[in-house]
Amino acid sequence: MIDFSRVQKELQECSRDMESSGIKVTPVSDNLVNLSGTIPGPIGTPYEGGIFKIDITLPDGYPFEPPKMHFVTKVWHPNVSSQSGAICLDILKDQWSPALTLKTALLSVQALLSAPEPDDPQDAVVAQQYLREYQTFVGTARYWTETFAKTSSLGVEEKVQKLVEMGFPEALVRSSLEAVGGDENLALEKLCSG
Amino acid sequence: MASEAQSTEISSLFERFLRHRDMSLFLPFFLGFTENMSVRENPENPQDPDQETPTNSSDRIILINPFTQGMVVIEGTANLDSLLRNVLATKDGQPPASKASVEAMPSFKIDVEMGGGECAICLEEYEDGEMAKEMPCNHRFHDKCIDKWLGIHGSCPVCRYKMPVDEEETDNKIRDHEHEQRREIWALCLQRHTNARIVLHSISNTF
Ligand SMILES: [Zn+2]
Ligand SMILES: [Zn+2]
Repeated sequence: MIDFSRVQKELQECSRDMESSGIKVTPVSDNLVNLSGTIPGPIGTPYEGGIFKIDITLPDGYPFEPPKMHFVTKVWHPNVSSQSGAICLDILKDQWSPALTLKTALLSVQALLSAPEPDDPQDAVVAQQYLREYQTFVGTARYWTETFAKTSSLGVEEKVQKLVEMGFPEALVRSSLEAVGGDENLALEKLCSG
Repeated sequence: MASEAQSTEISSLFERFLRHRDMSLFLPFFLGFTENMSVRENPENPQDPDQETPTNSSDRIILINPFTQGMVVIEGTANLDSLLRNVLATKDGQPPASKASVEAMPSFKIDVEMGGGECAICLEEYEDGEMAKEMPCNHRFHDKCIDKWLGIHGSCPVCRYKMPVDEEETDNKIRDHEHEQRREIWALCLQRHTNARIVLHSISNTF
């Protein structure tokens, strides 16, 4: 039986300090079993500027059992499956403690984005790339952030296409999109004002 | 000694693929290591040699590498048992605290004036008259909250202080579990590698 009163308390605390932590948790179902979390990509990493959505399912035994979490937003990271979004993080498995919360668990996931552990990979392909061709890894991770984790649901190419169809030159569209961090509405404003 | 390092290596390898359920990366290594292991004579587990028990069971795991057609047989030796035991202990986290150690924790009635705060497990503020318990590391929780947790994992929720473990109980539990675990390895291999034929046999003392 999930400790609902504790989950309610956690949600309240999360919304109270959302400004400072940047971590958001919202219920998806009334029964508080399915929740949705978001974490901002850490600054100074290839994930910077992205908002990463994480699907949370609370097991019956919560908080005596860890919450189940996986990335909904596609992410290129050695400890996250590029296919399924499964996360390899010890506190979500055998190192869980009931003194942890959804917020601290999401903070740990955010910390994992900053500090990959390629020796303990979830995605072998990404881990190999991280170890052998670090620059390529950074490029791919950044591209995935740009494509999948920016505010709009549209991918970069779709945004470019959309704006080009509106009559702007492609090179200008690309530079404008890049300047505003991939947000097509801001890019449109910029194109119109410029 | 070299075997000590090797054993640790094998252990972490097992642990890894049990944890990630992703054999694709580790299968070739796995085959290699197990091969080494099966030729070693009377291997001793360096981590807990005293727990090594003689066993009559001769479970064998036979691994066939589809690429080389090579075959590896792992004997169901005490070494393998303790290897799996280590893997399981890590995979499942800290085992439950022993009954005696839980009973030995001092319990007391909460007096908010003496110090309030909240229980780190249920996140509720302490109220006068509620019962609480203090762990050997001095962390306090509601008695019902900490009893429930220590029955699952014998570590402090705040500082991970490890409570004593009921040796006999864990051993039995692991023994039961172990058999399933081997089947699980087998099932996982089949799932991941439809081309790979990995065969698990339980043979009684014929050899
Ligand atoms: Zn409590
Ligand atoms: Zn403690």
